[in-house]
Amino acid sequence: MSNKISEANWTFHWRLTESAGIMIYLADFRGRRVLWEASLPYVTIDHQHETLDVGEDPGEVHGPWWVPLGTRTLEGPVRVQSFRGGVELSAAFAAGPYHYTQLWRFHDDGRISPWLTIYGPGVHDQHTYHPHWRFDFDLDGARDDSFERFEDNRWERVEREGWFPYSGEADEHGNVWRQVDVASGAAINIRPHSWDDAEVFAIRYHDGEWAPYSPRSAAGSATFPSAYVGDEPLDGDDVTLWYVAHVHFDQSFPYTAGPWIKVEGLGG
Amino acid sequence: MAPSKKPVKAAKPAKSKPKPRAAPKPEVPARAAKSAAAKPTPAKPAPDVARADATLFDPLTPGEVADALRTLMEDRRLSSMAKVGRYRVICTEPLVVKPPHWMAGHRLVRVVAYDYAADRTVDACVDLDAGVVAHLELSKGQPMLSRDEEALAVSIAMVDDRVRAKLAIGDTPQSTLHYWGRTTEDLAYARRSAAVVFGRPDGHASVVAVVDLLENLVTQVVPAERW
Repeated sequence: MSNKISEANWTFHWRLTESAGIMIYLADFRGRRVLWEASLPYVTIDHQHETLDVGEDPGEVHGPWWVPLGTRTLEGPVRVQSFRGGVELSAAFAAGPYHYTQLWRFHDDGRISPWLTIYGPGVHDQHTYHPHWRFDFDLDGARDDSFERFEDNRWERVEREGWFPYSGEADEHGNVWRQVDVASGAAINIRPHSWDDAEVFAIRYHDGEWAPYSPRSAAGSATFPSAYVGDEPLDGDDVTLWYVAHVHFDQSFPYTAGPWIKVEGLGG
Repeated sequence: MAPSKKPVKAAKPAKSKPKPRAAPKPEVPARAAKSAAAKPTPAKPAPDVARADATLFDPLTPGEVADALRTLMEDRRLSSMAKVGRYRVICTEPLVVKPPHWMAGHRLVRVVAYDYAADRTVDACVDLDAGVVAHLELSKGQPMLSRDEEALAVSIAMVDDRVRAKLAIGDTPQSTLHYWGRTTEDLAYARRSAAVVFGRPDGHASVVAVVDLLENLVTQVVPAERW
């Protein structure tokens, strides 16, 4: 199977990684570059204990754990399927009591759905999933980008790197964050799932930068991507975005996490 | 921001007579490490990411993997690790850098290894075109478990008496996860550890065993419902 797909106004490449699920790279919409690379570097899992007595609540006794979504946990082939108005890739992963289906859906109107369906029982009911997506958008070139978030009823430009949780405020289309190419005005709009309890880390891209092969940095240090957040300016540079969802397990699972992403201003 | 990586100087080819590695340098913030491989960029770089070569993202061939590992192990900065031989290669993947970086267009391999003797992670970029280690980071970060480590953790847990005492008939290892403790009271807080989840064939988890991979022993045995 070729790993280059040209369909529904999109041209993109994909490959299965060792630990970051299906990676998408060099994606163009209507012949213009949108994405350098995007992947799902990790899904961590926390456990809690359920008690009705606040005084006896032990909190989270154990730390998080994770298992790579990649070649070693893949169940069956990566599937490429057309659907009405687009094309999608999907792959199932399993690691004991944890099961996932990763999806990349490309719509002909410029939408991308990088999603993760989570199911499986876990080791017990009280646990929370934290899928981390990493997006390196290059709208009409790598640099000359800005990052904005919607707050106080308008789009506000963010000048420096940081952590930007969803506050509940969104524009009329539900978008909360966006990356804008200053020169062309083209934009990538990000709309979180209402129940993702989502947050975005905006980090300046550096030549030679690579995604970590683990969420864990040194003992006692912040995990990635928090450990990458400094105070560097974003405005007019190349920006990398991490979208992190926090999904508590409940009886209504399966649950599909992940944002809607919409390309705007590239024609059509 | 918390320090997490330690950059090492720019690449030098291996020499035939390796010298002992220099004493570690003080750690610097992750922020600085990220840009260690970069050369100063022009004030107004050409936005030519649209002309990137897609084949650079292709999976590595067995020969490319072997080439990358040989190049890394012959690098004098890792001579002590190679000599002691207590390391595991965690993964090898293609790495692609954007134009106008000087390595853009080169066939690059990222190699991640864990050095048990020094309790550290080796994260390297090998330039196959130039035959050099183009970038090297040594850190206390914890990469994911290798397949060998997953198998080792299972084998250690399977023969532990405390684990065996808690297993029911039909319980088998379901999965092995990379685990780290939340507090300093947990041995896994600062030590490389794996959690082996045992369970029934229907998927119901029964027991979790935490394995310390530095000492190769089980440090915790916890009923799954109390994890």
